[in-house]
Amino acid sequence: MSETLVRELQEIGGPVSEFSLQLVEGGARDLRHYVNGKKGAVVVFWSGVCSHCVRYDAYLNDFTSRHPDIGLVAVASRHGETPEQIQGTIRERNLQFPIVYDPGSAVARQWYTQQTPRVFLIDSDLRLHYRGAIDNFKYAADPEYQAYLEPAIASFLAGEPLARNETASFGCAIQSVYYILPKPI
Amino acid sequence: MASILNSLFRLSACMAENGLLLMNSAMQSMQTSVEKLAGVEFEKPGMRPPLDGPRDVDSAVSDLANRTIRIARTSVMEPYQLATAAGDLVRAVQHSFGFVDWKNPRNWIVPLEIPLSIGTMAAQSGLRGLATFQVVGAKRFPQFVANVVEMFCEVHIYVSLQYKEIIQVHTNRLSQAPDDAVTRMELGRILIKCGRYVEAGRELRLAAKDPAVAAGAFHEAAVAHYRAGMYEEGARDGVAAMNLNPENERARAWLWQINRKMGRYPDFVPDEHRMEMKVGYARPKVEFEDVADKIGLDKTSAGRGLAVFDYNNDGNLDVVIAAAHAGCSLYRNNGDGSFADVSVGSGLDDCINGFAITIGDYDNDGYDDLFVTRLGFFVGEGSLYHNNGDGTFTDVTKKAGVNSWGPAFTASWVDYDCDGHLDLFIANNLGGLFDRKTPNRLFHNNGDGTFTEVSEKAGLRTIWPTIGSCWGDYNNDGLPDLFLSNAMGRSQLYRNNGDGTFTDVSTEAGFDDFCIGSTCFWIDYDNDGWLDLVQFTWSDHEDVVHTMKTGAGPADGRPLRLYRNNRNGTFTMISKEAGIDGCWGTMSGNAGDFDNDGHVDLVLGNGSPRMDRLEPLVLLENDGAGKYSNITFSAGLPTTGKGHGGNLADLFGDGRLCVLVAAGGAYPGELLTTSCFRPKRLAGNYLNVRLKGTKSNRSAIGARVSIESEGKHQYREVTGGTNFGCLPFEQHFGLAKATSVERLEIRWPSGLVQRFEDLPINDTILITEGEPSWAEVYRPAEVALTA
Repeated sequence: MSETLVRELQEIGGPVSEFSLQLVEGGARDLRHYVNGKKGAVVVFWSGVCSHCVRYDAYLNDFTSRHPDIGLVAVASRHGETPEQIQGTIRERNLQFPIVYDPGSAVARQWYTQQTPRVFLIDSDLRLHYRGAIDNFKYAADPEYQAYLEPAIASFLAGEPLARNETASFGCAIQSVYYILPKPI
Repeated sequence: MASILNSLFRLSACMAENGLLLMNSAMQSMQTSVEKLAGVEFEKPGMRPPLDGPRDVDSAVSDLANRTIRIARTSVMEPYQLATAAGDLVRAVQHSFGFVDWKNPRNWIVPLEIPLSIGTMAAQSGLRGLATFQVVGAKRFPQFVANVVEMFCEVHIYVSLQYKEIIQVHTNRLSQAPDDAVTRMELGRILIKCGRYVEAGRELRLAAKDPAVAAGAFHEAAVAHYRAGMYEEGARDGVAAMNLNPENERARAWLWQINRKMGRYPDFVPDEHRMEMKVGYARPKVEFEDVADKIGLDKTSAGRGLAVFDYNNDGNLDVVIAAAHAGCSLYRNNGDGSFADVSVGSGLDDCINGFAITIGDYDNDGYDDLFVTRLGFFVGEGSLYHNNGDGTFTDVTKKAGVNSWGPAFTASWVDYDCDGHLDLFIANNLGGLFDRKTPNRLFHNNGDGTFTEVSEKAGLRTIWPTIGSCWGDYNNDGLPDLFLSNAMGRSQLYRNNGDGTFTDVSTEAGFDDFCIGSTCFWIDYDNDGWLDLVQFTWSDHEDVVHTMKTGAGPADGRPLRLYRNNRNGTFTMISKEAGIDGCWGTMSGNAGDFDNDGHVDLVLGNGSPRMDRLEPLVLLENDGAGKYSNITFSAGLPTTGKGHGGNLADLFGDGRLCVLVAAGGAYPGELLTTSCFRPKRLAGNYLNVRLKGTKSNRSAIGARVSIESEGKHQYREVTGGTNFGCLPFEQHFGLAKATSVERLEIRWPSGLVQRFEDLPINDTILITEGEPSWAEVYRPAEVALTA
């Protein structure tokens, strides 16, 4: 995979690769759409079958009302997941954030993303400010809970330097041979 | 009387083993003959991914058996569901035998082969069952087998992200029968495995309203609430679970975990459910603090192998961590007390589902390369990554010809024929409950960037599933020998004959009993110049709680095995006399002199794939007089978790060996964070030695380094990976209060012996093969740790 793909360098402070993808319910959207009239946007690589993404449903549903100045778009890149399946998931889980479909995981690869959920905070010039996890994956009631994205957004909106602009990602693999192998059951 | 019974039991077990071995080989021969007669040749398994399912009769029979048990486990046993299960079963048959072209008359031989294949499968499964029964005993056997079945049935489902369908089966059932507490409890357990702890807690508490499952449901609810950080709720569940079943020692362990997190037991926890930790409080020579978040190494993931190496040749030791569900993370040591995550774009971030990482410069180009294994309880293809020297790595697996498909836990680099080029050994475990043994692979390095598989030729055939393997020259003949730590089987020692072949000398060397082995490594624990062996073993949770509660494992427990080299080709297990009597579920770990006293200590990474099991990392300090003591808690290790890739490295070049642990587990919900425990002070003087081979392999794997400091000798052998993670090549010698190193000797794999005198102390030096003097890598400096 890495031998054949030519990817643009992606660095904190540098520009991210633009994309134009179809919304799962139809209609093309490019990345700039989500920063238009905003101070920036959060791009989250996401999957309806990811056992981790489901934990962030409420967080993502409420995101826009909490951050009116920050756009939000989920990119569905997982191997084998179809727009129809995602539409089913949207209905089933009452998801209220825009989800674009990334056929062949091309954008995920261009964005150096191997697992979901993984978030990117960009400004209106499409420059990267934060990439990584939403939090340390603890529950909010856990004394060890640590948010990563929210403080990054707060600092970004306040025009202050980010305390942490990169965290290691974790989650479910976007492309894995285990999705191609015959199903275990 | 007891000893007579014991002897009789051993004799009958031995007869059963021989019978099963005979049955396996006879039926295999018959099957091969039948195939030959019919002129049928099926593809050998294990060479390429089974993307279309099995391609030979043995794999098909095993696949069908694995599928059947998975269907049985994940189905809701209600009459209306039986039709669904039957449909699943029919599809399973179609899938498993889909490779057979029934139009070809030659394939009509397949029905004849199937009984023979079932016979060999039964024989191999029987051998593993026999080994397990012998080790764990009749009392523990049912629970042990239930745990093993659950793990082998489920890892595949969760790694394949098929969990959603199982949740659906259970929610469908509950929508029709909301009072079915058994199904609700199982749903709660599934949600824990997915990391949805709060929902799980809710379901489990609902299930607990039914007295028939209340004890188990409260136990699981304690797990869910602990993992959600809702400690007081978890404690309430734990108390309820123990009230209903006072013998639930696992719940006692969870209450103790909650006590650790809260700093106290909640008042409502009765004394009889509490536990006083009786181990881990021996007086330590060194204390640690977790600095992972300060230095930026606090990666949360299902962390697996963790390897330490200098990928960019700047002298600083860097870190790479594999993750079961995500890509590898590469951290560059900035040399100023901080690390930078340089995974993105390195190529290693593309390396997903990694398990163990082993480092070696296979092409002798001056940059260390990596081999990554994948998912040892499933199957996967290991990947060879070539270090391009510019911070990027390229997957060259196919180009190099080391592609093989199997359930590999560990792999190691070794120059077994001492030709100056690193060869690769891959240890294969068991991918499915009824799978056949996938052969371990030895790949000989052709010296031109390609490899040739020589496992059969080398005589390294084994029937036991292998988890750990380690290479070391136990008989001091200059050739690396191989020890295999087999899960559910006999351990094996192969002596290197020096002509590309190996002889199994297990029995004469004293490795002739069954064992549930995990990882292993060679160390010279008594500094006598002869390599001794540490073999980690895996114990039940109950035995672990027994150890914690009483200070020692049960009389019939299975502590780690320390074998003393008798210097005559034989070994004696001396765990007991070395004071090692604690039972832990050790999966990984390593050895190093973390208290700088001149004696090699041990780090045990403990746990189990089960979500209802977390346990402490354990530090065993070698007192130099032949005893190991457990200093885990007195040395300041607060952690509980699942330690994989336990490693020791002087990350900051200041003589303090840090204990690095990548933590995580098989299920997606098992998300833990990497720790880096650094000694709070320099506990003794030290000398770090790095080697660069010229005629020998550049990584100097297999080189023997010995030092003499104020009359005391120490010996190390450079290893090429024995574990989930792999130690840095830098050899760390603790010197205690000694202020001089009079002599240092290196026996290079090429045969060259070099001696140096009057070495520095508290320094890190580099010795290049054949060069008359050493060079300084860097001087220690006080570093302020920063993220």
